[in-house]
Amino acid sequence: MQTDDLIRSLTVDLTPVERNTVGRRITLGIIGGGVITLAMILLGLGLRPDLAAAILGSSFWIKWGYTISLGVGAIAATVHLSRPDARRVRWPWLLLIPFALLAMLSASELIRTPRSEWLALLQGESWRVCPLLVLLLSIPILLGLLWSFRRLAPPSLCLAGAAAGLASGASAATLYCLHCPEASATFVLVWYTLGMGLAVLVGTLLGPRFMRW
Amino acid sequence: MRASEDQLRIMMIGGLDGDAGAYSALLAALVPLLRSFFGCRLRGADDDVEDLVQETLMAVHTRRATYDRDRPFTAWAYAVARYKMIDHFRRTRQHVPIEGLEDILMAEGFEDACNARMDVKRLLGGISAKQAQLIRDTRIDGLSVAEAATRGGMSEADVKVSVHRGLKALAARLKGEG
Repeated sequence: MQTDDLIRSLTVDLTPVERNTVGRRITLGIIGGGVITLAMILLGLGLRPDLAAAILGSSFWIKWGYTISLGVGAIAATVHLSRPDARRVRWPWLLLIPFALLAMLSASELIRTPRSEWLALLQGESWRVCPLLVLLLSIPILLGLLWSFRRLAPPSLCLAGAAAGLASGASAATLYCLHCPEASATFVLVWYTLGMGLAVLVGTLLGPRFMRW
Repeated sequence: MRASEDQLRIMMIGGLDGDAGAYSALLAALVPLLRSFFGCRLRGADDDVEDLVQETLMAVHTRRATYDRDRPFTAWAYAVARYKMIDHFRRTRQHVPIEGLEDILMAEGFEDACNARMDVKRLLGGISAKQAQLIRDTRIDGLSVAEAATRGGMSEADVKVSVHRGLKALAARLKGEG
């Protein structure tokens, strides 16, 4: 095809593009996937029975503080990495702050607990399923984000995939808190982080395959 | 050259707002820029260059939502072109020599060189064709006065006078512009 013809074909039926379409599209992808994840929790796992009481307690908010702050950071990174002229991210280390804070809480928790109960603190009731559930619940959100990226232009597919993976993992973990009754910071530090890490891995693997443009 | 970035940006914003005229002018203006961008990097593969130009135009079109109106437009457009070129190398499994890698990855230097070329072209366009040609021959392409005279079919004195007057005219224009 001649380049002039191409330009003509691209110009007919030109539709206007609103400002901040990138942000809106990513939000839409996350919400779209998040609705499915939420449905999976409500219909498949059920809310934790003591949710109304737990939401007033500190351990619930420690979990949410951890997953929500990681989610916000990861979504910001995802938006950033979706533009072709994105400069290198200078603040990936900021994502370590929630991790470090939680690690300190976990350390103080362990200090206050007799050594014989450490294993119970670490394993809780659900350590076997927690990481895999977080990973499973992150899949719809990751798929939503991959849909978002069909109109976006990430310069680095692996990085964008990793950021999208963390965004989906942290969002899924946030919703999973509605089900998960675990209260110990040590549990969250290990198993939630592992689940989100698996989501990052999946995102990094899927990015180069499904985000190409 | 500021004006060119500004012009392109205004056309792009017009295109984003749905102005088909501005948008097709933008795409047409990008074609020569992209041709030299890819031409410098894929020496001698003209079919590939034209393919990449077209792929980049399509990417600019389908991904135009990722352009942020508050940011420089040429940096965005060259970032799209750079991605398309790296993708091309990846597809053709071609290995890029490490010495050339800098040129490929650095779009910024290219923009400057490209803008400088556009400046020269624009300035030389402002003086008489004969003077411009002789300045190009003797000062840019590096011909000697004798060679330029033979090529232009004129005397050496004529060449010297024309180049001198042309440079003077250029200097006057630059002072006027500055």
